[in-house]
Parts: sequence; C-alpha cells; structure tokens
Amino acid sequence: MKNINILLVAVLLLSFSACTKKNKNPEPAPVPVAAATPEPPKLNNSEIKIGMIQEFETFNPLIANMAATSLMSKLVMRYLVTIDADGKWIPQLAKSIPSLESGSAKLVTVAGVKKIEAVWEILDNAVWGDGKPIICDDFAFAIKVASAATVSIAEKEVYTQVEKVTVDPLNPKKCTFLYDKAKWDFYQLGTFAPLPKHLEEKIFNMHGAETAGYEKNSLYVKEPYNVGLYNGPYLIQEIQLGDHVTFVQNPKWFGEPAKIKKIIFKLIPNTGTLEANLRSGTIDMISSMGFELDQALAFEKKVKAEVLPYTVLFQPSTTYEHIDLNLDNHALKDIKVRKALNYSINREELVNSLFEGKQAPAIHNITPKDAWYTDDPAKVTIYKYSPRDAERLLDEAGWKRGPDGIRTKAGKKLSFTLMTTAGNKTRELVQVYLQNGWKQIGIEVNSKNEPARVFFGETTKKRAFDSMALFAWVSSPESSPKSTFLSTNIPNAKNGYSGQNQMGWINKEVDKLCLALDLEFTHEKRIQIVHNILKYYTDEVPVLPLYYRSVMSVIPNQLKGFRLTGHQFPETNEVEKWNLE
Amino acid sequence: MLNFILRRIVQTLLVILILSYVCFGLMNLMPGDPVEMMISSNPKITAADVERLRSFYGLDQPMYKRYLSWAGDIVQGELGYSRTYRIPVTEMMGPALGHTFILSVASLVFSLIIAIPLGILCALKPNSKVDYVVNLFSFAGISVPSFWLGIVLIIIFAVNFQILPAGGYQTTGMAYETYWAEFLDKGKYLILPILSLSIQSIGRFSRFTRSSMLEAMRNDFIRTARAKGLTAQVVIWKHGFRNALIPLVTIVALSVSSIFSGALITESLFAYPGVGRLLYTSIMGNDFNVAMISFMISVTMVLLMNLAADLLYGVIDPRVSYK
Repeated sequence: MKNINILLVAVLLLSFSACTKKNKNPEPAPVPVAAATPEPPKLNNSEIKIGMIQEFETFNPLIANMAATSLMSKLVMRYLVTIDADGKWIPQLAKSIPSLESGSAKLVTVAGVKKIEAVWEILDNAVWGDGKPIICDDFAFAIKVASAATVSIAEKEVYTQVEKVTVDPLNPKKCTFLYDKAKWDFYQLGTFAPLPKHLEEKIFNMHGAETAGYEKNSLYVKEPYNVGLYNGPYLIQEIQLGDHVTFVQNPKWFGEPAKIKKIIFKLIPNTGTLEANLRSGTIDMISSMGFELDQALAFEKKVKAEVLPYTVLFQPSTTYEHIDLNLDNHALKDIKVRKALNYSINREELVNSLFEGKQAPAIHNITPKDAWYTDDPAKVTIYKYSPRDAERLLDEAGWKRGPDGIRTKAGKKLSFTLMTTAGNKTRELVQVYLQNGWKQIGIEVNSKNEPARVFFGETTKKRAFDSMALFAWVSSPESSPKSTFLSTNIPNAKNGYSGQNQMGWINKEVDKLCLALDLEFTHEKRIQIVHNILKYYTDEVPVLPLYYRSVMSVIPNQLKGFRLTGHQFPETNEVEKWNLE
Repeated sequence: MLNFILRRIVQTLLVILILSYVCFGLMNLMPGDPVEMMISSNPKITAADVERLRSFYGLDQPMYKRYLSWAGDIVQGELGYSRTYRIPVTEMMGPALGHTFILSVASLVFSLIIAIPLGILCALKPNSKVDYVVNLFSFAGISVPSFWLGIVLIIIFAVNFQILPAGGYQTTGMAYETYWAEFLDKGKYLILPILSLSIQSIGRFSRFTRSSMLEAMRNDFIRTARAKGLTAQVVIWKHGFRNALIPLVTIVALSVSSIFSGALITESLFAYPGVGRLLYTSIMGNDFNVAMISFMISVTMVLLMNLAADLLYGVIDPRVSYK
C-alpha cells in the first residue's frame, strides 16, 4: 500500500511540476522543457517516419478521394501526366504530352460533333510491381470500371471524357484516345489512373454487376499487399488502419531509383502532439498534412532558438482565402459598397502581422504560381489599401456617418455579418482584423461562426449567409473558373446545390468567356481570355480576395531533394528524389 | 429472479431498438452527407455526379426507409461496409475494440487497485493528514482536463526523458519473436494513456469509496462486530467494505460499460487506434455504418452493465430482492 501511495504521489507531483512551469510561462512553447530535449538520432536512408494528421482510406485509385490517401498513393501509383513542383504539366507514365503543335493530337469531327484525338505512348519500361507491363488496356479497363453505374467513383468525367481507346496493333503501349469533346485541357489527365487489368478484370467480371460489388471485392481491399496493384517507386508492406502504413522500395520501379528504403506514414490525429512526437523521435518529419500555420511559425522560432536539426518549409499554394459576398444582400448589390470594402483591407499589414509574411496577399483568385496569373494594373483592377477612397465611395453611395460612427442610409445601418468556420484560429484572427479596419470607415461587421460541418454543409452550400462568408477555394494551376464563376453554377435546389458560385454573381460576358476558354487551344489566347475574366472579377468585386495560403512541412536538415508543391499533386510525387545521406 | 432477468432483457432490447432509431435519426440530421464530403475535397464534381452518388448511397430515400434497410441488415447479422475503407465494419471494429478493451480494462483495474485502498484508508482515518493529502490529489485528479494531462505526460516522459513513446500502440515495423517481447513493446505504449485515464478515475473512485465506507463504518452492526471482539481486518472487509460496495458497484458498472466505447480525447492525444477515435472519425467522415455500430455497442454495454449492477446488488446485499 505504501509503495502504491508513493508511486501515485510521484506521478501527480511530476504532472503538477510541469503544470507550474507552464503557468509561469505564458508562451505556447515550454522553453525550459524543450531545452532539455535530447538530440534526435542521426537518420539514414534505411527508414524515415512521417507524421500526418488525417485518416486515409482505400488505395484503389478510382475510388480514393481523400487528400491523405493522395499524399500516400503517390508513393505507389503513377499516372500518365502530373504537375511538378514548379506548377508545370510533365509526363509521368507517358513518353510525352500530346499536343496539336506536335501533331500528336488533332481535332476531328465525329457524327457532326467536334472532338479531339490524342496519341499517348506509355514508357517502354513502365511495369506494374509484378513485372507485367503497363499497357493501354489498363487505361481502357479503368474507363470501363469507372463508367459502370455500380461503382461509386466521385468524378466520373475524368474517365468518361475518353470515349474510346484504340490500341496500336503493333504496340500495346501506344494508344489513341478519342475525347467526347474538343477541349484544350484534354492532356490534363493527372487523376486518370490505370487499373491493372490482369488482376482486377476477373474481380470486376465477377462482382461488377452488384452495387458496390467491385469496390468491396477489389484486390486493393482484399489483398492490398499484392505488388501487381502498384506501379510507383514503393510498394505497400503493411497497413494498420488508424495507425500507420509502411512502404518499401519497389524492385520493379522503372524510374529514378528511390534512395530511402522504407517510408512509414504515421497517423497522429492530434495536431497538438505532432511536435512532441517529432521531438521524441516517434516521427522524423511532418508532412504537408500536419502543422497549422501558427504551429509552424512557433516551431520555426524554436528551431532557431534551440538550434534543432529541422527545417520548417513554407510553400505558397493554390488555395485562395477570400470572402464571398452575397450579392442578393441589399447593400452589397451596390458596387461602390463592395469596392469600399475592398479598399479598406490592408492586406500587406494583415499577412505581415498575422502570418509573419509567410502567406502572400491575394489580388484575385489566380495564384502567382499559375501561368495565368497577372498583376498588371492594365489588365486587372488593383485595390491598394486606401481608407480615403473607401470613404469617398461610401459617401457617393449615400451612406453617411451616424452619431455612433456607423454609416446609415434611409434609417438603415451599414451592417454586415461575417461568417466563417468556428474554431479556426487563423480565420478568427483575420475576422477581428477585418472588423477593425471596416469599423474605421463606418461599416459595422458582426461575427457569426459555425462548425465547419454546418458552415460548408448548409450555410455556404445553400447560400444561407446573410452577407459575407470567409473560406478558401482549393484550385490547381490553369484550372477553369467555371464552377465558381458561371451563373448556371449558382447553387440552388434545382441543381442539387452543386455549383460553387455562392456569391450569386451573374455576368453574361463572364459566362461566355468561361465557355470559350474550354474551346481555346492557343495558350496565349487562353491567357487573354482569363485576363478578361479577371478584369470583370476585379472590377465588379463579387469576392474580397485576402491571401494565398501556404502549405507547411517540417523536415530533418539531412533530407535533400524534398520539395513542397502547393497544389493537388503533393510532395510525395517526387519521393524518389528524397535522400538522407 | 429469472422473471426479473427476462423482463429486463426485453426492456433492454426495446430500449436498444428505440435508441437505434434515435441515433440513426440524429446521424441523418447532421448537416452534410457522404457526398458533401466528396464535393468539399473535389470541387470538380458535377451536379450529375452529385445526383448519381446520392442515389448510389441511397441518400435520395426517406430516412425511415434507410433505417429499415439498415436494421434489416443488422438483424441478418450483416453489419455493413465502411464507406471510407470499403471493408466490412466487423474488420474495422474488431482491432479497434481489442485495443480499447485492453486500454480501458488496464486503466480500470489500475484505478481500482489504487483508489479502493486509498478510499478505505481515508475513511478509517477521517480528517487525518493522510485523508487531506489523498483528498487534495483526488480533487486535483478529477479536475485536471484529460487533454492537458495527456500533453504534460507526453512532454515529461516522451520528450524530456524519452523513456516512453509519445503515441501509437506498438513500435512500427517490429517483428515479435516471443509473446513476452510483444507484451513488453505494446505495454510501454500503454503506460502514458493508462496514467492519463487513471489519474481522473482514481480521484473519482477513491472519493466514492471514502464516502460509502465512512457511511458503512458508522453503522451499529460495526460497533457490535467490534464489541464481539472480531479482528479489525474482519470488521473492515467483511462488515464494513461489503456494505460500502453497493454505491461503488454502480459507478464501477457504469465505468465497465464504457470499456468498449473508448476514450476519444486520450486515444486521439496518444494516437491510439481505439473505438473512441474510430467513432469520432467515422462521424466526421460520414461513415454511417461504422458510427452506428459504435453507438449500438456503447448503448448495449451501458444497458447490460446496468442490468449486471442490479443483479450484483442482490449478491452483495441479501436484503435486496427481485420482484
């Protein structure tokens, strides 16, 4: 009994000693504790353990839809093409990207409909993990599976856009894709995955007729360690749901040899303990699906102060943080009010004071990494911070300051509600910053935050926000803005609330330009069209741009060849370049 | 007694049926559905995709129809598939239940081993120094938030001293040559979560034990037992502790019922792949089948443990009868 008492008291005392330390020091970083951290062991190419916070799902490339799976699947699956870390489309399984200029793609007319035909040739040495060559039939089979009504593929059009695959009788790796319509972005097949026909066909034939029969019986579910299912630099050695996935080198890999022998992705769902896991050696690095910005900034300071053997990387991404304005709101219908709101945001100060300059201020929806980006004042309207211009516009619009400093018109206050996701510290800070700025020019803005599930599942989806909704759009380089700009994409009950024009922006010219963009095959002309769209976008201010988000990662100083991408093809897309020695 | 048990079992089944419908309804009342999740992670999904997927998952059907279909499958022993992982729910729940069971039982046993003697000690020496110290730590244990306590334990034992792992349930990639090696490896991953869970339970159990023991020791039969010249051990354990057991059994039975429902915060903090975390991720991921089975297990366990507690009252106290 006495021993038990001593043990209990010892444990409690230890806990409370830490408590005292923490209370004495209001800094989030428990510096005295951290200073005592022993050096992590030196790493080598035999193994690296990577921490991530999100659950993963099935590795079947047709069915997988979560970002966490995408992060890991790039180790084991490669596609015809991809976007590299510089934001450029490059071939991966294909020898080259077909184009009209090279003659490997051409416009054709089939039954009176304009279509496009492109010749794709797969790398001669590209093989599945069991040594079977990757051939055109694997792509044709993927289209067949994806087209089946019994398979719950999310974005069917990725596959069904290819109407027909004609295989060269002399070369099973050379095929001609006939697309259902003539589109300039026909080559952007970054999510068009091949399926190993030699393994999966019999499963599909047996279970394909039942609802969800294929996906439940696929070898990706029943035998996930079958090497023939994968074609990337690594193979799956072990999956422990909810804990970790282990990858080992693929001996049949046909690309640049991977250097690290074993990679373990460890799931650590609590962001608060990621740092502790890193410093205790449970993991060796934190993936781009780990730290929040504030945690990364705090950890970077610790790295410098304590000379820790890590590098915190920040990479601007294609995620665009902004405020959607509900254009059905009476006051927001007036363009002068929208412009005044835009003029009174000091974006430079916002990113410097809240993000230490690690996230870039946004001027519109296209990010600086995109070939379509422009900040030329002749092409887009730039709103430099100017409270004076904002006040002038509001005066012109008839909003006069009341005794409490808030502007009124016809007895109504100029007051808005700014909604965002509750619990998102960064957004809540931005909210407060913006409210103060707008108050100075006489606009009252109240906050109303909701859990992400309600905010995205109901409020923004059904345009149920009164005036302003703060959130982000995830995009990719050279991505058509149709889903957010087309007037037919204003969410409503008729279209199942599927569009993303939550502003309710209607501009017939923009509609025409968006549709014309799909059919324009000349790069320079496409850029011209996009710039015309951006001109309308920045002139009419349906949205208040804020900043482009960054992705973060913590890597050991030893790790070379690691690059964050900032788009939907994550860092693991170049995992074979990683080197610890 | 048999009648009592049968009646309670029927009542339990009825409550499970009603609660299953309530849980199903609540799950469906939550904003968003599995298709919403897909849209949020892939903005290129079209209106046609949305319609097709809603029909595929049966989300275009009224709720009562979906419930009947789900309940029909359950009755036939078909627990369904996880929408996220495309594997049978049983395959997912099995390991998670195992992990949670080990963690919860170890924590409960550890808590009881420490809390009951401490509570008795305090009851036997009320208002003594020992009583004050134990009370102080009991209240501290009850008051400390588990998320904070977990982080403190990780900082001390995993980051500073590096004597225990920060999270997980086993060393990744470890091949065990003997059961003993496996026991030792997995055991060290359990120490911090068990400590984190137990510090709160010890406080709660020791307070309950103290008050019920204090009450029992004031009874006339204790004075009589002492007057008869019985030894202190017999008076305390046979006469005092047995009478103090009834309130303790109730609270322990309720704790046992949570053995399979997991400890969400502790499991998340220590990256421990248990049921609590599985339930949370399945709710957040709209993985209805997994979430519903987790709910049902929790509900069933609470009801069964209540029944067990009622039966135990009769064993402990012969005055309790079942009518």
